[in-house]
Amino acid sequence: MMSDLLLQAAASGVVTGCVYALVALSLVIVYKSTDVVNFAGGELLMLGGYIGLLALVYFELSYPLMFVVVIVAMYAVGALFERIPLTTVRGQRYSKNAEADLVPLVVATIGLGYLLKGAVRVVPYTEEVRRLPPLLEGAPIFIGDVILLKQDIAIIAVTVVVMIALTGFFGWTRTGKALRATSQNPRAAALIGIPVKSMRMIAWGLAAGLAGIAGILLSPKLLMTPDMGNVVMLAFAAAIIGGFSSLVGCVVGGIILGVLQNFVGILISPQAMAVTPFVVIMLILVLRPQGLFGELAFKKV
Amino acid sequence: MLRIEGLHASYGKVSALENVSLNVEAGQIVCLLGANGAGKTTTLNCVSGLVAAAGGRIVFEDEDISRLRVEDIVRRGIIQVPEGREIFTAMSVEDNLMLGAWQHKNNQRNREQLAQVYDLFPRLRERHAQFAGTLSGGEQQMLMIGRALMAKPRLLMLDEPSLGLSPILVQQVFDIIKTIHKSGIAILLVEQNARVALDVSSYGYILENGEINLHGPASALAENPQVHEAYLGGAAVRH
Ligand SMILES: Nc1ncnc2c1ncn2[C@@H]1O[C@H](COP(=O)(O)OP(=O)(O)O)[C@@H](O)[C@H]1O
Ligand SMILES: [Mg+2]
Repeated sequence: MMSDLLLQAAASGVVTGCVYALVALSLVIVYKSTDVVNFAGGELLMLGGYIGLLALVYFELSYPLMFVVVIVAMYAVGALFERIPLTTVRGQRYSKNAEADLVPLVVATIGLGYLLKGAVRVVPYTEEVRRLPPLLEGAPIFIGDVILLKQDIAIIAVTVVVMIALTGFFGWTRTGKALRATSQNPRAAALIGIPVKSMRMIAWGLAAGLAGIAGILLSPKLLMTPDMGNVVMLAFAAAIIGGFSSLVGCVVGGIILGVLQNFVGILISPQAMAVTPFVVIMLILVLRPQGLFGELAFKKV
Repeated sequence: MLRIEGLHASYGKVSALENVSLNVEAGQIVCLLGANGAGKTTTLNCVSGLVAAAGGRIVFEDEDISRLRVEDIVRRGIIQVPEGREIFTAMSVEDNLMLGAWQHKNNQRNREQLAQVYDLFPRLRERHAQFAGTLSGGEQQMLMIGRALMAKPRLLMLDEPSLGLSPILVQQVFDIIKTIHKSGIAILLVEQNARVALDVSSYGYILENGEINLHGPASALAENPQVHEAYLGGAAVRH
């Protein structure tokens, strides 16, 4: 009986873990390509969810079309945020201590978070608490004794497709390789003619697009509010488990966290679920700051 | 080919270059010598567009390039091999090299260029699949030069290529610089190691505290007592 419960909890943990993995990857891409910890990641997810809602319910677009609209819109938001405020802030600072130069950039992301929350609240549509319709409807699927909704399967499928696409992009394409080169050594990249500013815009665009996809996937499962971005804490924890550096690390970190959170809910108490990510972050930072895959951090993305 | 005229540069309020002028003619190797902190790297970075000039002009083939973006300066064929080990450590040697050709989209020609670079640096061919971060210091220097060649330079600017290398490796690197020069590429060579630099160059400039205080044909500089005293350890004066 208990083992059935845990198995079910594990399965649904994998599903939410997929969403955490997408957001974690969004944070990692920004961090690796611009050295900035993006505290607006959650709000980007929230914005993606609301853009999806508007597209689907207000403009009555189909689900696939809505995906495209959200990705394009979020890409633009991310790229513009990098291009205008971040580039401006970067250009003004000059000190020998590169770390000190990062503080205003991180503060700018916090500002972006508040701005997005404020902007979404102004839209009348968001006063009412809503939910996106499920990605896929229909009878749940049984795998042994485990029940999965069709939309849960869709979440896993979308995540797998996105991760495979990104692995191919970073591993094989000209632009993907240039992005990795820029993140490893921006100076060297600039000196062989890679346009570093454009690369940073692409990285932010991709990151915001990923957060937007996560928003669409999560919004049918959660109540949508302008504060739904708080789930970003789980993504931070997932990224930190994975060493804040690789795609694989984000996926493994996300799934571990999703499953762990559900287990904590069953074995300890539902109230304890909320503190799980914080405890995980603290434990990892104290015990194994390089993350589970520290030694592989060398390898990917 | 490259004319720097009265260049000024500063970091915040601290001036780094004052009225620096120098010329590199097509087919020449010109060296820029000076002690640590003299402003050599800053000069190259101004040419590459990484540091904005506060005054003066940088002219490449009759075009003022001092306001261009870094990637547009690269597009004109001015390629800098930076100081230190500025490689993409977590990518393969071959990826590092191919990235050098990023602005050149003709894959066929890039492959041919790659084969030429491998002929010049057989060690890199042997290690083409390894992570660049696992190469030795000398191999990393070779990788940076190879990567720059992939960008098809017309003017190659090398920032202290002998730094941290054993005498044998320094000799190898300088032999390669001579080979590159023979293929028709102009070279601006920044060095602290004046002896080897003057040996391969036809003209030299000496930078001190951000100002050019001496310049002339390399052979004349090599015999100049002042240069001996400051940069060649005074050895020749004694014998
Ligand atoms: N990024 C920087 N920020 C502030 N000062 C710098 C920076 N880079 C170089 N400087 C200063 O400018 C001067 C010239 O430095 P540099 O061009 O690196 O000299 P060199 O390459 O000849 O050793 C030095 O006094 C150095 O401290
Ligand atoms: Mg230097």
